[in-house]
Amino acid sequence: MLPLFFEFHSPTKVVYGPGLIADLQAELSQIEARRYLLVSDRTLERLGLPARVAASLEDAGVEVVGSFLDVPENSEVSAVRACAEEAVAAGAEGLVALGGGSVIDTAKCADILLSEGGYLVDDYSGAGTLTRPLKPLIAIPTTAGTGSEVTQAAVILDEAGSVKLSFSDKFLLPTLAVLDPELTVSLPPRLTASTAMDALSHAVESYVSPQWSPMSEALAAGAARLIFVNLEAAVADGSDLEARGALLTAAAMAGIAFSHAMVGCVHGMAHAVGGLYHVAHGAANAILLPHGLAYNREVVGERLGGLAPFVSGLTSDEEQLDPADRVIAAIRNLAGRLNGAGVLATRLRDVGVPKEGLAAVAEATVRDGTSFYNPREVVAEEILPHLRNAY
Amino acid sequence: MGSFTSREEFETMLGGFFDHLTVVPSIEEKLLASKLIIRFKYTDPDVVLVVDCSGDTVEIRRGDAETKATVEMFMTADVAHRFWFGKVNLMMALTRKQMVAKGPVPKILELLPAIKPAYELYPTYLRENGYARHVID
Repeated sequence: MLPLFFEFHSPTKVVYGPGLIADLQAELSQIEARRYLLVSDRTLERLGLPARVAASLEDAGVEVVGSFLDVPENSEVSAVRACAEEAVAAGAEGLVALGGGSVIDTAKCADILLSEGGYLVDDYSGAGTLTRPLKPLIAIPTTAGTGSEVTQAAVILDEAGSVKLSFSDKFLLPTLAVLDPELTVSLPPRLTASTAMDALSHAVESYVSPQWSPMSEALAAGAARLIFVNLEAAVADGSDLEARGALLTAAAMAGIAFSHAMVGCVHGMAHAVGGLYHVAHGAANAILLPHGLAYNREVVGERLGGLAPFVSGLTSDEEQLDPADRVIAAIRNLAGRLNGAGVLATRLRDVGVPKEGLAAVAEATVRDGTSFYNPREVVAEEILPHLRNAY
Repeated sequence: MGSFTSREEFETMLGGFFDHLTVVPSIEEKLLASKLIIRFKYTDPDVVLVVDCSGDTVEIRRGDAETKATVEMFMTADVAHRFWFGKVNLMMALTRKQMVAKGPVPKILELLPAIKPAYELYPTYLRENGYARHVID
């Protein structure tokens, strides 16, 4: 049965291709801006990527008027402000974000200040606070996980209050997303695994979300298939461009899916262990995904089973299971194999979460905003056994 | 034009409902735990209500444009009315710009489970307080 209402809005132009970064003239010529500030981070600078991308942009006929390479691992308001000041001083007409989610989110918010001026926190944090299009933003992801290159959200840490601020607006959607797998080959195996499991959690949670639509469902299922087929190959051989490209594409597909359908208690638990015990988001999602699905199994079993044709890596015994259980088993198996390869933790105890802290994690999960969009009501006493299973 | 033509009626009706919610222990407890100050700015008709959870009790203030709010929510009176019937999906409304939220949206989302029981209380409140004509089936 179709939902009574859904909206699908995904105007970001997505282009894909190995080596595409060297040939963007066609896309850039269709964007009005000619002067860009390049936004990236110091890790990528050491790998020489910003210089390579800047040269490609110049070859494509646009001017790189400056660069801002001081984006921290988790972006902060001060970095956004500094980036915007750099853009204004350089006379930038648009921004190019080269990096992971933190870099792209920084560029999204710097674009607000470049285009509109004002104060980031007081004037623009929240949802729907923008009233007109911003200057063009070109997003070039170098990780395959967050999907920020195709979403309308950004998360920035406000150092003053030690709180993570969210910005959500259709005008934050990048103008162009460039998916070039060559730019992800330097991603280490551990990060390859955890970011891809993050993307898988976006796909699976959005698939079973009460907010699903036929559009988000198709993208989520397609993303899950790409991840199952390609993740281990990318971990085993980082230079496998086919596998890298599939993960990059899957992350974008899952990003579009979850930005429409939302995510639920897996992310709720991941936010909780991230906030309480500083567990990295992708690693937390990887551990908690099968356990969150087990929690939701009784209310969305049939729906979850719809993903069964898109997963793989089951034993012959597991192939006989109910479709929903096949999905959960396949996810456990995938995480287990990555754990065996030494690139992914599968237990909360292995990422620094103490057993006595699980009750607090359960309480924080209930309070997390994602709990409202979980298909099963999130009750601390009821989700705690699943956290213990994850321990 | 929306369903509410009288500013006074909408302010009294919704402000009264907010007052009503503050004495529901399960809701009051969670509101106070949030410590939030939320300003609702409604249009068509123009009404401002502040829900102040920063003290020992939840205070509802009509027309308060001065207090610095943690979060400001903007919407039409009709959207607000439908929201309290549970007929407006907050995230969808934010996406469609039927609502605008200024400030930390996750903190608002945290409150949603707490106010869920209010959806059942709203039609009863309307019927018992002379607003039965505004009940949506």
